[in-house]
Amino acid sequence: MDGAEIVRQPRWIWRSALPDGDRKPWRARPGLMILGAVLFLGALYLLPMLILTGWAFRGPNGGFTFAQARRLLSEGAYHTAFITTFRTAIITMLVCALIGYPLAYLMATTSPRARTLLMAGIMIPFWTSVLARSLAWIILLGKRGILNEWLVASGLVSAPLPLLFNSLGVQIGMVHVLLPFMILPIWAVLMRLDQSLPAAARSLGASPMRAFIHVVLPLSLPGLLAGCVLVFMLAVGFYITPALLGGDRDITIASLIEMVVRDLLDWPFGAMLSLSLMALVGGVFAFGALFIGAERLTSAEGRT
Amino acid sequence: MSKQLISRRKVLRGGAASSLAAPFLHTNKARADKGEIVVASWGGSRTSAMREVMFKPFEAATGIRVRDDGPPEAAKVKAQADSGNITWDVLDTDIPAILTMAKNNLLLPIDYAKLDPGKLDKIPKVLHHEYGLGHLIYGFNIVYNTKTFPTGRHPQSWADVWNGDKYKGGRSFPFRGGISPQLEVALIADGVPIDKVYPLDIERAWRAMDRLRPLVSKWYANHAEAIQLLSKGEVDVCCTVGPRGIVAKREGAPVDVEYAGGKLAPDNWALVRGGKNLDAVYQFLNFVIDGKVQAEFAKRVPYGPSSSDAFNHLTEIEAKDLITSPDNLTKQFWNDIAWWGAVGPDGKTNIEAQTERYAKWMVQRS
Repeated sequence: MDGAEIVRQPRWIWRSALPDGDRKPWRARPGLMILGAVLFLGALYLLPMLILTGWAFRGPNGGFTFAQARRLLSEGAYHTAFITTFRTAIITMLVCALIGYPLAYLMATTSPRARTLLMAGIMIPFWTSVLARSLAWIILLGKRGILNEWLVASGLVSAPLPLLFNSLGVQIGMVHVLLPFMILPIWAVLMRLDQSLPAAARSLGASPMRAFIHVVLPLSLPGLLAGCVLVFMLAVGFYITPALLGGDRDITIASLIEMVVRDLLDWPFGAMLSLSLMALVGGVFAFGALFIGAERLTSAEGRT
Repeated sequence: MSKQLISRRKVLRGGAASSLAAPFLHTNKARADKGEIVVASWGGSRTSAMREVMFKPFEAATGIRVRDDGPPEAAKVKAQADSGNITWDVLDTDIPAILTMAKNNLLLPIDYAKLDPGKLDKIPKVLHHEYGLGHLIYGFNIVYNTKTFPTGRHPQSWADVWNGDKYKGGRSFPFRGGISPQLEVALIADGVPIDKVYPLDIERAWRAMDRLRPLVSKWYANHAEAIQLLSKGEVDVCCTVGPRGIVAKREGAPVDVEYAGGKLAPDNWALVRGGKNLDAVYQFLNFVIDGKVQAEFAKRVPYGPSSSDAFNHLTEIEAKDLITSPDNLTKQFWNDIAWWGAVGPDGKTNIEAQTERYAKWMVQRS
């Protein structure tokens, strides 16, 4: 990679950010400022990715091979795991959006005190370990968990409901873990929303619902999309929660990658599985960018 | 990383040790004088007990320092070997991991001539593997919740575990976490006697697994999880490590172990290829395979001592729940390392092929 090019390229960063006449010598070299980030990503991300790609396509005797790719294509079990993974991730994303948007809206429109409380309610579980949160669900939803004990004792059901160790358990656990990633971007956009715009719609005779659908919702769409992208990408790589709360129909590709890499020491095939997952996620992202625009996908800022 | 270390050592050797380098000089000296070995084990109460009854007395007796690290996963050993920075000398690990590592040329064969024959004779021959010496015995046993199944009315054989009509309740079996499918117990449940299990009739075993599948309410990913689910009553009977059940029982959990039909397997001492202090390593092995040391360990962590001499140092009550007590030993069979390690026509060992088949079997809808 040609370092000089990177140094020269992003002049606009400092031009737009700094007032004229305030340039110190080091600031005149913006390349230095991003050099750290480039080296960091290059050494810790790009290089390992290249090595990983090498493993996936190098044969045992050194030459180039499609053997791992062919193996992946011919193994139905891995396809099933890919489908399970994407299905789980999409449902998680949709449920997060359905629950997250109203919550974010409430946070943006309520009093500052209530907002602080809501924020604490969202953030405190967010700082708890994923493992602890998943185990807490076993205590709540298990066969002899609090909810089932209560349901059976009150006579509402005759036998404990199967809430865990199936897809329902996985979805509950994953939505809980990933909800903050949906709420925060939406909330950030809604907070910046010019409140005079829905007010203007109302003064022109729109019902609250109409004002919401035609003014607030379109303006907050970038936040919603950003939340969806975040939740989807994290959900695709999720591993602990499906393993702890899921059943035999919830085995995700991350689980299989772990088995291939750690137990079978088959690193070339593990690399191929990882690359395929990345390519598929990248494909989804590219598809989204094509239709929605990459800036909207990556930016959580509302544009008015 | 390794480059930096070499240059640091060169600086020290060159006598240019400034005050900055003094702390490094100190540790280097300690290494040179008496040596140090690194034992990779599984942490927790196991490593604490090892420190108490093995590492500390060994350090006192020989002056060789023992450092612990871990967990001794095959992938970590491979990463150390690939980077040329091997930091572990001795591993405490199971046979599947040893077979995988040996196949990847990561281990040294054990030179049994360097071990004390008197101590070695007390350890069953089946545990003298080329790349590992069995020291701590665990097993896959029937572990059950005593509230669901009071002892005496509990599943007393694998056939009982497979019998969902007579013994109602959720089963839990291992999947993931480096645990191979328990095909032997599937065969025993299907009527194969414990001394006729090997060579495994693989297809028959998988047909038995098919019948088990609807009875299993949770495929657990690690043994701690299994015991947790069992203690809480989320599942009623597990195929999991018996000694872990005994640990839970001692802590007051409603859990007990049925040893009938159990598959015995050793955790082993194994030597990392490229370890630097081989002489100290053999001194360590000779120290820790002693029956009395093993008995002391079993008093703290109720796994089975591999040396029969250990039971000369344990009372009857201490020995009763141990998986290798003379009574319990006769009800069980030894995991056949040779069969699992055998390489098939596709270049895969049985353990690799069956572990992969397990994942596919699990993912594919039946």
